Amino acid sequence: MKPKLKRFFIFPLIGLLFLVTACGRGTSENELKVMLGSTVVTLDTAHMQDSYSFEVVADCIDGLMQLDEKGNAIPAIAESFEVSADGKEYTFHLRDAKWSNGDPVTAHDFVFAWRRHCKIADEYSFIFDSTVACIKNAEAVIKGADPSTLGVTAKDDKTLVVSLDAPVSFFPALMSFPSFYPINEKFYNSVKEGSYGTSPDTFISNGAFTLDSYIPGTANIALKKNESYWDANRVSLNMLRYQVVSSSDNALTAFKNGTLQVVKIAGEQVEHIKSDSELSKQLSFIPEGSLYYIAFNQDPKNHHGGVLANVNMRLAITNAIDRNSLVKNYLMDGSLPTYTAVPQKFSANVKTGKFFSENQDRYKDYVSFNLEKAREHLDKAKKELNRDEFNIHLLYSNDSGDRITKIVQAVKSQLEANLPGLTVTLQPVPKAEYLRNFSTDNFDIAVANWSPDYDDPMTFLNLWTTSNAKSTEYWSSAEYDKIISDCSTDNLAINYDARWDAMYKAEKILFEQAVIAPLFTNTNVILTSPKVSGIEYHTAGVDRVFKSAKVK
Amino acid sequence: MAKYITKRILMSVVTLFIIIFTLFVLVRIMPGDPFPVERMTAEMIELKRIELGLDRPIPIQFADYMAKLLQGDLGNGTSLYNGAPIMPIILVCMENSFKIGVMSILFGSGVGLMMGIAAALNRGKFIDRFCTICSILGVCVPSYVFMIFLQYFFAYKIPFFPYFFDPSNFFFSAIMPAVSLSLISIATVARFTRNEMLEVLDSDYVKLAKSRGLYGFKLIRKHVLRNALIPVVTVIAPLVVDLLTGAMVMEKIYGVNGLGKLMVDAIAGEGIDYNYVLALSILFSSLYIGIMLILDILYVIIDPRIRLTAKEKV
Repeated sequence: MKPKLKRFFIFPLIGLLFLVTACGRGTSENELKVMLGSTVVTLDTAHMQDSYSFEVVADCIDGLMQLDEKGNAIPAIAESFEVSADGKEYTFHLRDAKWSNGDPVTAHDFVFAWRRHCKIADEYSFIFDSTVACIKNAEAVIKGADPSTLGVTAKDDKTLVVSLDAPVSFFPALMSFPSFYPINEKFYNSVKEGSYGTSPDTFISNGAFTLDSYIPGTANIALKKNESYWDANRVSLNMLRYQVVSSSDNALTAFKNGTLQVVKIAGEQVEHIKSDSELSKQLSFIPEGSLYYIAFNQDPKNHHGGVLANVNMRLAITNAIDRNSLVKNYLMDGSLPTYTAVPQKFSANVKTGKFFSENQDRYKDYVSFNLEKAREHLDKAKKELNRDEFNIHLLYSNDSGDRITKIVQAVKSQLEANLPGLTVTLQPVPKAEYLRNFSTDNFDIAVANWSPDYDDPMTFLNLWTTSNAKSTEYWSSAEYDKIISDCSTDNLAINYDARWDAMYKAEKILFEQAVIAPLFTNTNVILTSPKVSGIEYHTAGVDRVFKSAKVK
Repeated sequence: MAKYITKRILMSVVTLFIIIFTLFVLVRIMPGDPFPVERMTAEMIELKRIELGLDRPIPIQFADYMAKLLQGDLGNGTSLYNGAPIMPIILVCMENSFKIGVMSILFGSGVGLMMGIAAALNRGKFIDRFCTICSILGVCVPSYVFMIFLQYFFAYKIPFFPYFFDPSNFFFSAIMPAVSLSLISIATVARFTRNEMLEVLDSDYVKLAKSRGLYGFKLIRKHVLRNALIPVVTVIAPLVVDLLTGAMVMEKIYGVNGLGKLMVDAIAGEGIDYNYVLALSILFSSLYIGIMLILDILYVIIDPRIRLTAKEKV
């Protein structure tokens, strides 16, 4: 090579090396870096519908109430509240809290946000109506009536009065849910239409953190401690950084090299982690409160002969699934085999402190792993249907990761092995297609998943009422509908124990008729750096709370 | 020449218009709609359709869309990010993708050129073989293998680079994504440069120049490179568009908020977002058309012979 030509190569190389070494950067103190499973779609509470958005907005905004680490409702922006004797009117007294632009947080901010939420009537507006919060006139406003008729008024700047159509036993806890968060009207009106909550400039907070960098869909979100937060002493983090990571292998490596301090990993990685004594100490299993179950399409004119309209066929399937093996041999992530319609470790009784589904044997006559009983039901079904061979299709969405594939493979192999004459054809479709098929009853059986919206068994039991759009699997029971609606109206709603018993009664109907076959309660496998403590996990609403989180 | 360029620009505008129209119609008649259905009832969806004007005939919707577009308004999303205005979001993604794309092109074509030149000048020797093997590997190995490899070794085994892309530390954290993307351009550019250089080096006028005592850098730059570069530029141009429009896999692995990911979100989210798909397609097609236009003009500048023929034709 000629000497001049050498320079042609060497200079750019030296330049590049210099640039590279000059740009290193350390991390600042009290900074927590956590993994987020998917992008945050919006910070506008009226449009929110996924747990990631709920989590990040809850870092930034406080509602009337918040949940403590055990899931009990404790005051947030509301310093105290009173309930009327009939349980239909709540009066919240607000504390002196400030928005991050210096404005005081007033009762009007709540009125504005709630009216707007019902007027926009997006996916989560149902949380205001008689299915959940029972706020007066919510249904009418959602359907287009004047928002000012909604049952929420600001008596003065610091007093908020909420009127309900029926008493709601879990109302204070519900006030911690992001759909009920306030929005500063003056600020909202000052940003361009449609751009509220799409960047740090178009969003203000009254909570533990303020937005430092964010744009819808971004892979990196940075939150800064809000110095003007009313409870700022509780917050020790200066910075909270979210990194969106979609692959659990990626998450694990990033955790090992210290890039992320809290990550969620997949079941198959658990074995590998347990073999590492250092890592296994940092492993924890957090029940998620979401239920995986098999839904049956009971349409008698279904294209596979409507075999699932036969109750014995459904009972045969319900009793032929070995949920223990499914969880232990296929998922391997500490998920809990479940025999109830309400998942395990969810919704504790305020009096006894026990979870609603603590007793998993409650319906063991109908739902269990019992081959004898399964075959008995199958024989009856064969007689009644006058057939020996059945082929049913199992619908599932194939773009939500390997997990679901493992579940359907387990279900298929168990059903085919345990129920002679039955073949299961897997029917994988993309998620959008799955939702469409599911809601239009275009399936035989489907693996479905439901995550709770609020901390009450009703968030699940509501799914199978006749009026619910999600449960049109050609099953409808007047008795079931009546119990569910009684639970949300005066006579039962006010009597805690009677309501609790009524819900068990409703759940029993589901299993007598094998409307669903529950599979398991989902569990998240979490790795947390030993330096990190104080993260609170909840099964409903906001999944993680970082207000008390600390980094050593 | 001016007439030639004007004609090319006009052609580009017409092409773009046809593309927009075709896309607009295709997006609306393809299966699927912008609304996720899990928690929405049929009436709610119908109301949303009316609100967004999707119940009107397609030609009217198109006229409406074009009127806004001509004022530079890409509108709001139909479902993605809940109808937030598209422009600021696309701009942020574009900034990330463009910066990483440009870094990768500069790095890729720089290294590729050097490798090509070195190989051509050392024909048949070790350097030549080494460069050939490298470029074959570059074309054959899928780039995500290289991406994961880079991430594993230079962010995990030797924790020098940040594991994920971080906009607040842009340059440093963009190096690995850019380098991993440049693999294909390095390989392609190196191969083409080598072949073209060899051809030019064998030509009579280079022999003449050598006999006149010219050597080294001056000879390469003035007589060889200039002639060898034209085909190379033709190869680089489509690579440029590819790299600018984002790379889905790279964005996923390094956590980059870029155009590739945005396009996937717009199509494969719970509902299809008509306006994002359109806005991004318009952006991609105009980029492609624009680059082709620049390319045509560049030819004229690099090689005076083309300028002459263009003049004669006009």
